[in-house]
Amino acid sequence: MLFLELFLQGLLQGSIYALVAVGLTLVYGLLRILHVAHAGLYTLGGYFGVLVFNSSGSLMLGGIVAMFGVGILGIIIYRLCYEPILDQPPFVPLIASIGLFIAMEELYRILFGSYGVSYTNPPLQQMLPLAGLYLREGEWVTILVSLVLIGGLAWLSSRTRLGLAWRATVTDPQMAESFGIDPIRVRYFNFFIGSALAGMAGMIVGILNNLVEPTMGSVPSYKALAIIVLGGLGSVRGTLVAALALGVVESYGTIYLGNVLNRDAIAFVFLILVLMVRPQGMFRGV
Amino acid sequence: MKFKNILILVSILFFSFGTSWADTFKIGFNVPLTGFAAADGESALNGAKLAVKQANSAGGINGKQIELVVYDDQASPKEAVPIANRLIEKDGVKVAVSGSYSGSTRAAAGIFQDAGIPYISAYAIHPDITRAGNYVFRTSFMGEVQGRAGALLIGQTMQRKRVVVITLKNDFGKSLAAGFKAEASNFGIKIVNEYEYSIGDRQFGPIVAKVRADKPDAIYASGYFFTAGPLVSQLRSGGVTVPVIGQEGYDGEQFIKIAGAFAEGVIITTSLDRDSNSPIARSFISEYEKFSGNKVDMVSASTHTALKVVVAALRKAGTNNPDAIRKAITQTQLSAATGHISFNKLGEVRKNVEVQIVRDGDWHYHSTIRDQTLLAPPES
Repeated sequence: MLFLELFLQGLLQGSIYALVAVGLTLVYGLLRILHVAHAGLYTLGGYFGVLVFNSSGSLMLGGIVAMFGVGILGIIIYRLCYEPILDQPPFVPLIASIGLFIAMEELYRILFGSYGVSYTNPPLQQMLPLAGLYLREGEWVTILVSLVLIGGLAWLSSRTRLGLAWRATVTDPQMAESFGIDPIRVRYFNFFIGSALAGMAGMIVGILNNLVEPTMGSVPSYKALAIIVLGGLGSVRGTLVAALALGVVESYGTIYLGNVLNRDAIAFVFLILVLMVRPQGMFRGV
Repeated sequence: MKFKNILILVSILFFSFGTSWADTFKIGFNVPLTGFAAADGESALNGAKLAVKQANSAGGINGKQIELVVYDDQASPKEAVPIANRLIEKDGVKVAVSGSYSGSTRAAAGIFQDAGIPYISAYAIHPDITRAGNYVFRTSFMGEVQGRAGALLIGQTMQRKRVVVITLKNDFGKSLAAGFKAEASNFGIKIVNEYEYSIGDRQFGPIVAKVRADKPDAIYASGYFFTAGPLVSQLRSGGVTVPVIGQEGYDGEQFIKIAGAFAEGVIITTSLDRDSNSPIARSFISEYEKFSGNKVDMVSASTHTALKVVVAALRKAGTNNPDAIRKAITQTQLSAATGHISFNKLGEVRKNVEVQIVRDGDWHYHSTIRDQTLLAPPES
C-alpha cells in the first residue's frame, strides 16, 4: 500500500513538473531558447491565484486570471525580451532570460512582500480518501487539471489546423511560412500556451503549499531544464514522460535514499544515469 | 578645468569633514534583504532598527548617536566576506552584528576575528561561529542546545516515547537533530525513523505517507516557517494527528498564516515568551508591532537583543576601542526580550529555553525549560 501511495505521490509531483516543463520545451522546440524566466511566470501564476482568490473568493476566477494573465505576460516577454535578440548566438537570450528571472523574483518581493502570501481561507485542504488512497482534495484536483490541460494540448496540436500550423513551423519554419503560416503568430501562440500552463502549475502549487513566495520558482527553474534534457530537447511527449518518471523516482528516493541524497540531487543523478544510456534523451523529435 | 579641480577639492573636504562632524558610533550589520532568506532579513532589520532607535532616543552613547551600517548579504557566504571587509576597512566599524543565517555569519566571523572587531551572531546557530575566536559571540541558542531541549520536552514533559525525526538538511536542521539524538535515549525516546528534506522542498507527500505507516507518538521536525507551514498542514491533512514539535524556525505569525487551523497544538522551543510577565519582553512586543506593523517573531526578538547587548557594551566601554568593547560584551549581564543574557568563555549565551504552543491562532506559553546542565553550551 505504501508502495502504491508513494507511486501516486510521485505521479502527482510529476504532473506539476510536466505542466511547467512543457512550456519550456515548446519554447526550445520553436526558438532554441532556454527560457529560464519561465519559472518566474510559474511564480506569477501562484500570485495571481492567491491574490484573486483572497479578494474574490472564487477559485475559478483565480484559475482564469492565472492562466490568461500569465499567458499574455509570456507573449509580452517574448516580444520585449527575446524577439530583439533572436539573431544573436544562443547564450545571449539565455543570459537575458536568467537576468529576467532574477529581476522577476526581486520584483515579486518588492510588490508582494518578502514573507510570501497565503490563502486566508485555504481551499481544497481536506483529506479525500478514494479506493484506500490518501490524497487531499487539492491533490486530486491537481491530477485532474493536469490530465485535462495536457490532453487539451495534445488535441490542439494533433487535431486542429492551428496545431498543424504550429507543428509545421517547428519542423521547417521557412517552408511553413511559404504555405501562408504567419510565424510570428505561431510564436505568440506558443508562448501563450506554455506560459498559461506554467501559470496554472504555479497556482496549484500555491494552493497545495498554501504559500506563494518570491523565490518559489527557483527549484523548478533548473529542474525543468533537467526534465527537458531528459525528455530529448524539444520533444513534448518526451518531456511528459520524463516529468512523470522524475516525480516517481524522487518520491521513492525521498524515502529510501533521502538520508544520502536530497531530492534535487536524486533528479540530477537520474538525469546522468539516463544520459549515460541514451545520450539523446528518452525521446527524440516532436 | 581649474574650476572643476577646486570643485572636487571642496567636495572632498566637505565630505571628509562631514563624517567627522557627524561623529556617531557605527554598528555594522549584515542581513539578507534579498533572496530566499529575505523574510527573516526583514524581521532582523526591523528588530535592529528598533533597538537603535530606542537607544538613540535614550541619549545614544554618552550623547553621541548610534548609526546602523546595513549591508544585504543574501544569506550567502560569498557576499558576507566582502561585506565584512568593507564594514571594517571602508566604514571603519568597531563592532558588528549578524542578522543573517549560519552560512554567511560563519564566513564573516573569521574576518571580524582576524581584524579584532567584536561580532555578535543574533540568531545563526552553527556551532563553529563562536569558535572563530574570542571576538565572536552569540545571543541565541546553538542548534545542539535547542535539540537537547526538544528531547527533554518530548520525552519528559510530554511523555512521548516513539518519535519520528524530520530534519531540514542544512546546518540549522542538522545541528538540531544532532542535539536531539544525543539526548533522546536519556529521556527514554526511541527514534522510529528519520527523514531529511532540503530547503527548497514544500511538497512532503512521500514523507507524510511513510510517517502515517510509522505510527509515531510524536514528530520532531526542524525547519523554517516556509517549510514547516506546508509540512505541518500536509501531515495534518494527511491524517497524522500526533503532536508536532518544532523550534525557533517556526516562531512567528507567518507559520500560523500558512498552516492555518492545522497549526493548532504545534509546540516549539524558542527564545521569546509571548505571554511573558516581564515588562521588558512586554514592551518589546508592543513597541515592535507599532514600529514594524508586523507581529513579533524569534528573529526580530533575537536581533533586538543582540543590538541591545552591543549598545550596553558601548555605553560601558564609553570609547570606540574594539578591545574595550569586547571586554564589555564578555561582562554582559542584561535583561532583554529573549531573557537574561550572559556569556560563557566561548561567547555562547546562557539562558532558559521557552516552550510555546499555538492556541486560538496565536503563540502562547506552554512551559519553560530551566535545566542549566542540559542547556549548558560548550565552553570551547
